[in-house]
Amino acid sequence: MKKLRLIFFLFLIISIALAACGKSLQNPASQDGKATTLVVWDQFYRPEESAVIETLNAEFEEAHPGVKIQREVKVLDDLKMTVKLALAESDGPDVAQVNQGRSDMGAMVAADLLLPLNDYLQKFGWAKVFSTSVASRNSFTADGMTFGQGNLYGVSPTAEVVGVFYNKGIFKEHGWSVPTTFEDFQDLLVKIKAENITPIAFGSLDGWNAIHEFSAIQHLLVSSDYINNLTYGVNNVSFDTEENQKAAQILLEWSQAGYFTDGFPGIGYDDSNNNFKAGQGAMTITGSWFAPELMTGTDQDFGFFLLPGFSGKPTMAIGGVGIPYAIRKTTQHPDLAAEYLNWMISPRAAELWAKAGMLPAMSLPEDTKVKTDNLFGETLYAWDTINKNNAVGHYIDWATPTFYDTLVAELQKLLGGIATPADFTAAVQEDYANFLQEQNK
Amino acid sequence: MMKNSIQRYPGESKWHGLLYLLPAFVVYALFTLIPIVETLRSSFFEWSDLGKTSRWIGLGNYLSLLKDASFLKAFSNNLIFIFFYSFIPIMLGLFLASLLSRKRIPGLTFFRTLLFLPQVISMVVVGVIWRWMFNPAFGPVNLFLSAVGLSHWQQAWLGSFEWALPAVGSIGTWVQYGFCMVLFLAGMQRIPEDYYEASSLDGANSVQQFFSITIPSLKAEIGVALITTIIAALRVFDLVYATTKGGPGESTLVTGYLIYRSAILNNQIGYGAAMAVMLSLVLLTLSQVIQKLMSGNEEEIG
Repeated sequence: MKKLRLIFFLFLIISIALAACGKSLQNPASQDGKATTLVVWDQFYRPEESAVIETLNAEFEEAHPGVKIQREVKVLDDLKMTVKLALAESDGPDVAQVNQGRSDMGAMVAADLLLPLNDYLQKFGWAKVFSTSVASRNSFTADGMTFGQGNLYGVSPTAEVVGVFYNKGIFKEHGWSVPTTFEDFQDLLVKIKAENITPIAFGSLDGWNAIHEFSAIQHLLVSSDYINNLTYGVNNVSFDTEENQKAAQILLEWSQAGYFTDGFPGIGYDDSNNNFKAGQGAMTITGSWFAPELMTGTDQDFGFFLLPGFSGKPTMAIGGVGIPYAIRKTTQHPDLAAEYLNWMISPRAAELWAKAGMLPAMSLPEDTKVKTDNLFGETLYAWDTINKNNAVGHYIDWATPTFYDTLVAELQKLLGGIATPADFTAAVQEDYANFLQEQNK
Repeated sequence: MMKNSIQRYPGESKWHGLLYLLPAFVVYALFTLIPIVETLRSSFFEWSDLGKTSRWIGLGNYLSLLKDASFLKAFSNNLIFIFFYSFIPIMLGLFLASLLSRKRIPGLTFFRTLLFLPQVISMVVVGVIWRWMFNPAFGPVNLFLSAVGLSHWQQAWLGSFEWALPAVGSIGTWVQYGFCMVLFLAGMQRIPEDYYEASSLDGANSVQQFFSITIPSLKAEIGVALITTIIAALRVFDLVYATTKGGPGESTLVTGYLIYRSAILNNQIGYGAAMAVMLSLVLLTLSQVIQKLMSGNEEEIG
């Protein structure tokens, strides 16, 4: 009996001691003012991306003696799940990547978790680094209700554009050239199919990339004002329009004509990409983030072009900036954190991202030595083109908190032959109307 | 009888023994009891600002649940999953167990291990494996069908509105039957060999023996198998998350995934909590009913 009691008390004492240790380990020497630790959470987990961040962090520490960056890397799903709670804690990350859109950044602004960056925008002259159209993607009104205006809450280091990757070898072999109008593109699909080659490698099992296939066509039919209004929830636009139905109709026709990979509803995004990389399929429609993967570990040669506009109409493409860095409202080191943000969107950062094959959101320095006569250069050219023409579209799934789920489910119904294009736009409009009604309450 | 078996030293306090439960109780309370109570409490509120502010709405969340077509769809899918997670595995388990226990098969241990293996693999890994198995472009399922001349049966399994639910369900069958089989095998070793000997002297064949001796003797095991597999069917999340995320459309949507989507992705904490409470209530009721049914008078064999 005595022995057991002794063991029990030992157990208690040890656990108390351990708990105390845990506490003291969390604050290493920050009291004496010698070292400041900046805790940063990001989602750059892929090796090429992570290397860029490691380099930038090391250089930041070198330039700021006494500052230590404590980096935590998570995949996006994990980051999204934990960062909402972590930013509410007084020992949460000082800087974290926060996904754009209403259910993430919007919700966090409404909960007063993020520091408005307007002062730093002035101080660092960020207006010269990114355009107002880019800034609005990371902006919300202070109540978190209105997207696209109000305060700036984040800065994005990378950029994205959705377009067409194509297999140069297959194109060359059959004498096909890059189409310049949407009509040409449609003709090309017929020609490729006639050669018994899959025209567009595609797999919709994961759902989200079907939004990109649909919306890429949609962007060619609607105006840039419409896409802005829809995304930011202003001016009371509808989703149930002729243009959106037409886009859905074209997508459906592509599927029925067999232009997509056989059995595409049962194939995942990564599996489809791997097939394309291995030479199965002449083209695939996805974002520029796929480029680094196509530049290594394959003997095939790939190119990139924007899905071309209908003849006589402008070419608008889904695009934008990547997940932004934001600052926790209650951080002890707001100025240092802002300096870190500025560091992540510096010309040096632009160069490192470009070398890794990722589009930087910032322009490359004039004297850059980064190679651009490759696939990366082609995505960069596409990004520059839509920027110059003011034709950068949006990820439409930002429009309402539930838009992503609704679009995925309804597009699967459309492609599965369960719903018509008219059913599709009506069902999505129902979600959108509910949201507008809630918002204007 | 039980009462007398507890012995206490003279002068020892009645509550002394409870002290030994304390460490385990602290862990249990911290990670199980408190979260349950918190979930129940959360379900009566509408939460905004990521859980910073809340408004009491009583049964409001529960009432909206009953009108939510997605929830009803998800719950009915859970009920269909019972067929794949519980009914088929128990049938299959009984069949395999009687094969393995009655006949002398060379390499028995090997087969038993092989058949039990799916049970010990993590569900997410199972999901990833079967996503490849069912892949229309290079998956073995379709390759097999075309090899045996059934190409017209090929499907985009996980992406098809007709086939996704049976496909995900059959993964559940694959995972569960090994557990049922091992459970029944253990039970069968308990049945005295004399029963079989006596009955075969009376001229019973092995099918008659199976229904009159084996099944009634396994009542307790079948009860356990029913409860665990039905619970597994109703709380499935990982498998759906790793294979279809509820798609295509809502054809494989299950309550567990909907809870995750509402509470974690869409910040509807109270609504997700209400769903979780409903699911727990159904689980509790069902397992009580099964326990009642199975612990009824032990049937006499004769």
